[in-house]
This record gives sequence, structure tokens and C-alpha cells, in this order.
Amino acid sequence: MGWYYFGGITMFFFIVQVVTGVLLLMYYQPGEATAYESIRFLTTKVPFGWLIRSIHSWSAHLMIISLTLHMFSTMMLKAYRPPREVTWVSGYLLFLLTLGFGFSGYLLPWNKLAYFATTVGTNIVKSVPLLGSWLLEVLRGGQDVTINTLYRFFAAHVVILPLAFVGLIGLHLLLIQRQGMAPPIGEKVAPRGMKFFPSFALRDLLLWLACLMLLLTLTVFLPYGPGIPGMDWELGEKANPMAPAYPGIKPEWYFLWEYQLLKEFPPHLFGLEGPQVCLLLIAVLFGIWAIIPWLDRRAYHHKPSPAFSDLGWAAILFLTYLTLAGWDIGGGGAGSEAASIRNVARICAWWTLAAGTVVIVVRYWLYEDRWFILTGAVLLHVALHGLVGLPYVLAGLISLVVAAIAIAISSMRRSPADSRNTM
Amino acid sequence: MRTIAIALTLFLIPAAGSAVEQSSAGATSKLDALLAAKDEHGKPIITPEERAYFDGLNDNLKELLNQAVQKEWITRPEHLSVLLSLGLRPQKMELLLQNNCVLCHSDSGNQSADTLFTVASATTTSVSHMNLKEVVEDIHFRRGVSCAGCHGGDPTADLGHDFVKEWPEQHRQKNRAWVVQFCTRCHSDPAIMHQFNPALPTDQLAKFKDSPHGQTLLVKHDDRAPSCVSCHGVHGIRPAKDPQSKVYAQRVPETCGACHADPKIMSGFTRADGSPLPTNQLAEYRTSVHGRALLERGDLGAPACNTCHGNHAASPPGLAQVSQSCNLCHSANASLFDGSKHKHAFEQHKWPECGQCHGNHNIAKTHDSMLATGQGQLCGDCHRQYAKGNPECIPTANYFHETIDQMDQARTRFISVSEKLAAKGLDVDPINNELTELGDTLKKSRTYVHSFSRNTFQQVTAPGEKAVQRTDALVTKAREEYKYRQIGLAVSISLIGLLMLALYLKLRQLEK
Repeated sequence: MGWYYFGGITMFFFIVQVVTGVLLLMYYQPGEATAYESIRFLTTKVPFGWLIRSIHSWSAHLMIISLTLHMFSTMMLKAYRPPREVTWVSGYLLFLLTLGFGFSGYLLPWNKLAYFATTVGTNIVKSVPLLGSWLLEVLRGGQDVTINTLYRFFAAHVVILPLAFVGLIGLHLLLIQRQGMAPPIGEKVAPRGMKFFPSFALRDLLLWLACLMLLLTLTVFLPYGPGIPGMDWELGEKANPMAPAYPGIKPEWYFLWEYQLLKEFPPHLFGLEGPQVCLLLIAVLFGIWAIIPWLDRRAYHHKPSPAFSDLGWAAILFLTYLTLAGWDIGGGGAGSEAASIRNVARICAWWTLAAGTVVIVVRYWLYEDRWFILTGAVLLHVALHGLVGLPYVLAGLISLVVAAIAIAISSMRRSPADSRNTM
Repeated sequence: MRTIAIALTLFLIPAAGSAVEQSSAGATSKLDALLAAKDEHGKPIITPEERAYFDGLNDNLKELLNQAVQKEWITRPEHLSVLLSLGLRPQKMELLLQNNCVLCHSDSGNQSADTLFTVASATTTSVSHMNLKEVVEDIHFRRGVSCAGCHGGDPTADLGHDFVKEWPEQHRQKNRAWVVQFCTRCHSDPAIMHQFNPALPTDQLAKFKDSPHGQTLLVKHDDRAPSCVSCHGVHGIRPAKDPQSKVYAQRVPETCGACHADPKIMSGFTRADGSPLPTNQLAEYRTSVHGRALLERGDLGAPACNTCHGNHAASPPGLAQVSQSCNLCHSANASLFDGSKHKHAFEQHKWPECGQCHGNHNIAKTHDSMLATGQGQLCGDCHRQYAKGNPECIPTANYFHETIDQMDQARTRFISVSEKLAAKGLDVDPINNELTELGDTLKKSRTYVHSFSRNTFQQVTAPGEKAVQRTDALVTKAREEYKYRQIGLAVSISLIGLLMLALYLKLRQLEK
């Protein structure tokens, strides 16, 4: 049950972030003429400055990876069921704060890459109905991304977000300490009935040391990241707000799915602007994710809930397709832009279908799962869009309708059995 | 009485208005009839595109068209179609519709083929003077000189060919010299030209008279020599800065080549030494570093024919002038050459200075191997033949070549090393600063070769050679830094590994 350790690993990376963040703060000077220069000075002239910045960047990405794994493992094991609903919600908020850390920290070196990615990223809030323009101005501190944006991102990154994060993490840890680890459904206690101290704590420490080893090795051999778009922090040129934006600007990898989803929406839909509908959809998805403990009625009553396990896998496959497409997998070498988009959709659809097949087979044989409606719907969506060539939104609607019918039939078949069981 | 007057006025006003409307409606219906006319197969003569163009015209232009129809300048739908098919912008259409010469000469119904403007696709390369599309682009036409400016007559009169007296209608094909005199009536008169553009020169005729072109045309009366229209065109003359002008920088080679690359036209013409004038200049120029810069890269700073040979005073540069032509851009090289030993030697041999080593129309991109002294190489070949007794020559050339070659190789190598070190996260700014200095020195060294003096050359290359040494030291330092990082990592991992082992053993002990 290695999944239980990802919370601790995330905690380790957070501590690394705090320590290296404080060290970076000793040299970083926010300002038009100093932000970029101070980071450049730090990485080139200050002894071990390169190491601190590189660890901070690597640790940020690894923290998001481990946090995502922690969140999905919690979801699959239904650890959110009573009495741990508040733990889930606090963890969910910590996840959002972590994304906020990533977004605000990205701009701070004030380099070209960060400047344009932030311009594109903040531009998204303009589509929020009614409040869009106001929100954009609040976020940017003006109409455009300027040095005022840097000041408020800096304030958010080093004061506002850490304060909120520390408070929430305190609550999260307190609840875990009070309620203990959540045992899997059908078991009374956490795996092997392990005591938190010393057994679990020492194992955690062992893992933390292994993570430190990994972090140091990555830092020395790949100081600017693995070279994957959206996971690259070479300083490059200084930001120049007067320069034209260059093509192919993309956000960090963990925002790629939202970026790609926005691209998949047509300009107008249901009498609204496409991006507005897309943002509403994202808000609904995030909302559903937050209240899962209350939606999952079977887990609420400590019964197996295969539908929600399937929802977790469906979410992973949904994000996989969008992230792969956001990376333009298979886009190189195609003649026109339209041909390139079709090619990307096709190749990414094949990869997602392959991954989905593996997931279903493994779940069927290893975990004896028999409920695959939502995973199937996501795979149908991907196939209709990538292989048949239907527009993304239309393919999604068809898949949703198919899934709804399948769920209705499935629940009608189960209802008599359920009613007999309850009697 | 007053009541009757008012009643009468009220009665008459609508009647007068109705009369105006009737007359206007009559004209409009005539124009409408032309617009709606169909050919014998029942197909509309005015195409949908022409109709759409007409519908987009402003009221003023529609009224001008109306008037032209009413006055019967336009009587046939085919004629209207020709005018609409031009798709002119409003200002040009207005000029055209006020010019009866054009209106009459664009109607195939009353003009013979040789006096009719065509509207074939714009022929910017042809000297055709009867293409209407070209005529409306003509700078003279656009500035109001119009047909009558040269041909005389009144473009607003109903009919008339009152040509000016100087117009040698009868003999104009036999002796083209009159063209020069004709154009310069205005172009050599500052008072006239300044009305249009005070910056325009008016000395073209004076220059042309002294040029070989002018001598051939005006003195020898050889019609193969160019007149104004040979280079500028006839109808459709555009300003030199217009990319479609025949004398726009990028089109000059092609314009000059129209004659100079044609063996038929050039046959019989000779150089000062009596040898026949070659016709391969254009072909050579196209492959030269100058030709590629101008024609392929679009670098308008690169020289065309006229940059070295002149425009209206075009002539082949004499020996002394070659360096002056090159000097216009390559001033540093030229001044170094002027102070060198070669200056005197070249004068003795009567060699064109720059051209002797670099060529003229076919100037290739210079290469460091030009300094090599082996067989078949520039410096070596020349010096073995002409400076046999001078022991300094070959070693000096070798020194130049080796020094530049070493710096260039070092720079290429360091650039690649710097990129690799940067990818490893090392600070390469100091290395790149040295590489910038090395690059500057290399450029300067290649220029200072033209001093042909070892001492002068050494003064310039010394900083570059030092930059190479400093870069070498910086690269070594950066590599050591990377090694230090790897060793540091190995030590850290070993310590962490030991700690992990200890923890594991402790855990096992506790759990037992």
C-alpha cells in the first residue's frame, strides 16, 4: 500500500520549497530592473545559487506530481468517506493553492518565457461571465501584464499563499493525526496496523531521504529541467513587454489540459462565448471533485463504490488526452496547421485508447472491477474526436448521452438486487 | 393674388423637381441599360465582378460615369466593361473618367488596334505603352500631366489631336535622339520640376550627354543606345522608389541587362582598348555576393549596376575609379589599401585595385583561403609571379592566413563548447563575452589584411589571440566546476545512503 506515502512525500517537497524559497528570497529583488538581474546574479555569481534555484524548480514540479498522485490515490481508496470529508476538502484546497504557487512563481524571474506564458494564462479569466474584465485587472494590477503584476504575484507567492497553505496544512495534518490513516473499504484498520511513530514516521523519513537523493541527482544532471515543454526553467532572455509574442507559448504542464480544453471549444456555443462555456465546465468539474465525499453515497455507507473508482480513472484518461494534445504529440512534420491538428488528435487518441485499454484490463483481472461506463465514455469521446474526426465538444456530448443511458440501464438492473439486499 | 402666387409656386415646385428627376432618370436608365446588356448568347456583358465594382463606387464616380454615357463617350457595354474591369481605386477612376483621350482610346468600337489601350494583365516588364493598367499607374498621369502633357491637345474637349509642334510624328521611329530632348523640356527645367518635387534633380541631360550612352545616341545617332524611355518606360513610368519601377534598385540589373546581356544589341560595341564589350555581366552579377544580397535577400543597401557605374552618366569605371566605387561602402578596406605597399605596385602594373583580387561583376564572398599561398591560390600565385625577389611576401601571407584561421577555428570550437556547458547549467557569460571580443577581432583582422603589413595586422590580432587564451582558461575552469558538482553529488548521495541504511537497520531493530 505504497499510496499512503505520497502525502508525506508531498510534505517533504513542500518543506524543501520553504527552505529553498527563503534562501532565494535573500537575493531576489522584485522590480523592473532587478527581478531578472537578481536571478541571473544568483545563478551565475552566488556560490550554490544555481543549486538553490534548480532544487526549488525541480521540487515544485515533483511536489505537484506527488500531490496529484496523493489526491488520486485518496480518491481511488475512498479515503474521503466519513469521518474524513473535511480532510478531503482541506487537501483539495491545498491542491488549488499549490497550483497557485506554481502560477505565481513562474512569473517572478521576469524572463521572456514566463512573461508571455503569464499573459496567456491570465487572459483566460477575461472569459469569466460578468466579472471577467474586473478579475483580469485585479489579477494583473492593470490592463496588461506589467511590473505591477510581478509585485502582486510576488506578494501572493511569498506571503498570501504560504499563510493560507500553512493554516490548511496544519488542519490537514491535525485531522490525520486525530482520525488516523483511512483503512481500505471493508478493513477495520490501516495496512498492517502500523503505528505512526516510529514505524510510519521512520519509513517516511527513509522515503524523504530517497527523494532528496533523487532531487540532488536531477539538479546536477538536468539543472534546467528534463527539456519537456512546460517543464523548463532556463532563464533565457529578459521579458520585454514591447516585444511581440512569439508562437507556441504554452503554460506549465499541469495547466496544459485547461489550455487545450479552451482550444477545443468553438468561438460560440449555446448562445455564449466558447471560452465562457469552457470555464463553466471547468468550474463544474472542479466543483464535483470538491464534493465527492458527499456524492459517493455507497462509500459514505462504507460500501464498495466501483462507479467512483471508474470516475477517478475516467478523470485521469480525460486529463491524459488533453495534456498529450497540449504537448502537440504527433504534430511535427505535418504540412498545414489543420493537418497538424488532425494528426495530433489522432495520435493522442491512439495513446489514450492504449492507456485506457491497459487500465481496463488491469482493473478487470487484478481488481475484479466490473463497472467501466465512465472510462468507456472518455475512450468513446477520444475515439469519436481523434479517430472519427468529430468536433471535440460534439464527441463529448455524444459520449455523455451514451454514458447517461448506460448508467440508467445499469441502475435499473441493479435496483431490484439492491432493494433485496437492503431488506 | 398672394394666395394664387403661393398656390402656383406649390404647383410648380413639384413639377420642376419632376422634370429634373425625369432627365436624371433618363441618363441613369441609359447607364442601367449598358450595365444590363447581354450578348448574342444571352450572357451579361458586364461580369458580376464588374457589376459589384460599379455598385461599390461612390456617388461622384457614378455621376461621372453617367455624364460619360450621356455625352456618348461611352456608348457600348463592351467599352463600359473595359473601364470597370480595371477595378481602379476612386481617385484613379476619377482621373480616368475626366480624361476624354483615355475614354476615346479605350473603345475598340472607334479605335484601330494600334491606337487602342489594352487591358491585358499588367505587363510591368514590357515597354508596351498602350496598356491602360500601366497608364493609370504612371506618375505623370497621377500628378495631372496626363496625355496632353506630352501629346498636346485638350483632354476635356470633345475631339482634337492638336499635337505640339516639336512632336516629330513623321520621323520618330528613325531617330530616337528626339526622345531625350523631348523629356528634358520639363526635366531639365528647375522651374517646372520644382512645382512637383523640389528635391528632383534637373541635371540628367548634362550627365547623359557626356556618358557613352549619350555620345552614342546623340552624337553617333546610333538608335541601339538607350534614351530615357529605354530605362524608365513610356506609359506607366513609376517613381524609382516604387518596387514595380524599372529603375527600382532590385530591377536595375534586369533593366540594364535587357541590352547589355543581349549579344545582338551589343555586337560592334567595344571597350576603350578595342576589345568587344562582354554580355555576361548580368549572369555574373546574379551569382556574386552583391547580386545575391540585392536580388535574393532583398538587401537594398547592396549595390546594383548604377551604384558603381552611375545612372544618367553611366560609364565603366576607369582604373582609378574602381577603388572609388568600392570605397563608397568598403571605406576601411580602401583606406588601408591606399596606405599599403600594394597601392604603388598595382599602379605600376595598371591593375584595378580591388577588382584585381576580388573581380568585378562576379565578386564572390571572400574566404580566408584567399590568403593561402599554395599553387592555384590567390596570394601565392600572384607573388610567385610578380614578387619573386621579395622574401617577405609568402611568409607574411602565410602569417595572415594562419592567424585568422586559428582564431576562426578556436571561435567555432568555443561556441560549441559554450553551448554544451550552458546546457549543464554552468555560467557561460564570461566565455560568451570573450567570444564576442574574438568575433570582433576576427572581423577587424580580415579588414586589416588590406594593410599588407605584418606589424599593423599584429596590432589588431593581438587582443583576439589573448581572448583565445582567456576563453581556454574559462572553459577549463567551467569544466572543473562541473566535475566539482559531480563529486559533491557523489559525496552527498553516499552520506544520504549511509543515513538511509542506518535508519533501515534501526527500523528493523525496533520492529523486531
